[in-house]
This record gives sequence, structure tokens and C-alpha cells, in this order.
Amino acid sequence: MTPDRLSATFAALADPTRRGILARLASGEASVNEIAEPFDISLPAVSRHLKVLADAGLIERSREAQWRPCKLKADPLKDVADWVEHYRRFWEESFDRLDMYLRQLQKKEKKNARHRK
Amino acid sequence: MPATGNDAITSTTDREIVIQRVFDAPRALVFEAFTDPRHIGEWWGPNGFTVTTRSIDVRPGGSWRFVMHGPDGTDYPNSIEYGEVVRPERIAWAHGTGDGGPPLFHASVTFEDQGGKTLVTLRSVFPTAAIRDRTVKESGAIEGGKQTLARLAQYLANKT
Repeated sequence: MTPDRLSATFAALADPTRRGILARLASGEASVNEIAEPFDISLPAVSRHLKVLADAGLIERSREAQWRPCKLKADPLKDVADWVEHYRRFWEESFDRLDMYLRQLQKKEKKNARHRK
Repeated sequence: MPATGNDAITSTTDREIVIQRVFDAPRALVFEAFTDPRHIGEWWGPNGFTVTTRSIDVRPGGSWRFVMHGPDGTDYPNSIEYGEVVRPERIAWAHGTGDGGPPLFHASVTFEDQGGKTLVTLRSVFPTAAIRDRTVKESGAIEGGKQTLARLAQYLANKT
């Protein structure tokens, strides 16, 4: 496991073909040929994408069956989802506080405007 | 449309996270809340956090050095280096810990007028594991009673 698995996961997810492959594997394991079928790219190119996904821990290639099916692994995706959730909460709560603060500021402004009249 | 709780969040799978919120306040005031030393520490951070500003100079090349105090008493030094400050439209910054290391992530904020309200869009380029861990620490400690207090405070603020 690399120390920065989240970055590896984000980098692996940055490519649309790799996201397509993950979407395909979400519906069940598949061979390299089956994975390559919907994409207009060569088998070696697909293999390179599979290697990036495997290095990021997003997929697993079975060593048992002869056709070595690829399988989705959910853990790194969960890390990404967890991180995004924490980040979202940081800003959602900051924005809640900003919202409240802006209301107070505007109330004060109104009051001051009335006093000036 | 109430602003609370309706953030739109998109986590694009390439390196960017986008968070949006409409604030019921004019654009100039919202921009000020992000850039005026009197305002920014008053709302920055999750519920239960407070901010002490060490120094602040909001202009391109300037920086904001501050400490975030967590609800459990933990201090988190922060440093924001401003790249762009375009009043009242846009700010871009690099966010780090102020220890001389490279920034942990980059963010930009845009302010759009929507008939007297203001749409704020925050875009962040995805972080390294370091900021992920920090952010998790900072927001992980804030469950429970703090939320209730924040809601009470908001309720009282709206009553006055």
C-alpha cells in the first residue's frame, strides 16, 4: 500500500476509459477481452489501464481461473467517498456559519440605518 | 430558497471538488466576508471551531496566517497564500500549514450576483493524503452537542 493511496485513487479515476472499465466491473467480473469490447482501443492499451487500476487497488485480477477475470475492489473508492464527505462537511458547516453571520451583519446595517434617520 | 443545507456538491472524478451555495446577501458584502480581516475569522471552519488570525493581507501575493482551534482544544496552524483577489468577483489561494512546506491544496472562489443574492462557487483541486488526514481530523471531532448549540445560536440570531 502506498502512503498516498487517495492520490493514487484520484489519479486512476481521472481517466474516462478507466471509469468506464470500473462501471463495467460494477456489474460483475469480466475478462480483458470482455472489458475491451465497448472501447475503441487496443488490448495492450486496455491492459495498461487495468494495470493502473490494479496498482491503485481498485481492481483485482484473479490468478486462479485461466481467463484471469478482473474484479472491482470497493475499499479505495470508499476512501474517496469518505474524504469527499469530510471535506463537504467542513465547507457546509463553514457556509452555514457564513450564512448566519451575513444575516447578523445585514440586521446590524439595517439597525444602524434606522438610527441615522 | 433557504440557503442552509442545500449546497450543491460535485466531486468530479478528475482532481476537482466543487461546492456551491447561494447566500441571501449582496455580492459586495459576501466578498467582504471572505476578505475583510474583521469578518473572515467569524465564520471560517466547521461548527465548534474558532479562529485566531496571526496576520492577514488579502491581495495577490499576500497571505492569511491563522490558527484553527478545535472543539477538543487542538490547534491547527493554517496559512493561505492569495494568488488572485479580484474584487468583488474572484479569489484564488493556496492553502498550507504555514510551516514552509508546499501548499496542501489550491482553491478558487467565485462570487456571482443573482438578483441581490450571491452564488458562491468553491473549487478545490484534489488534495494530497496529508490534507485529507488533517481535514478528517478537523471535521471528525465535531459531532454531537456542538451541532445542537450551533442550531440554537442560529435560532436565537434569527429571533433578534
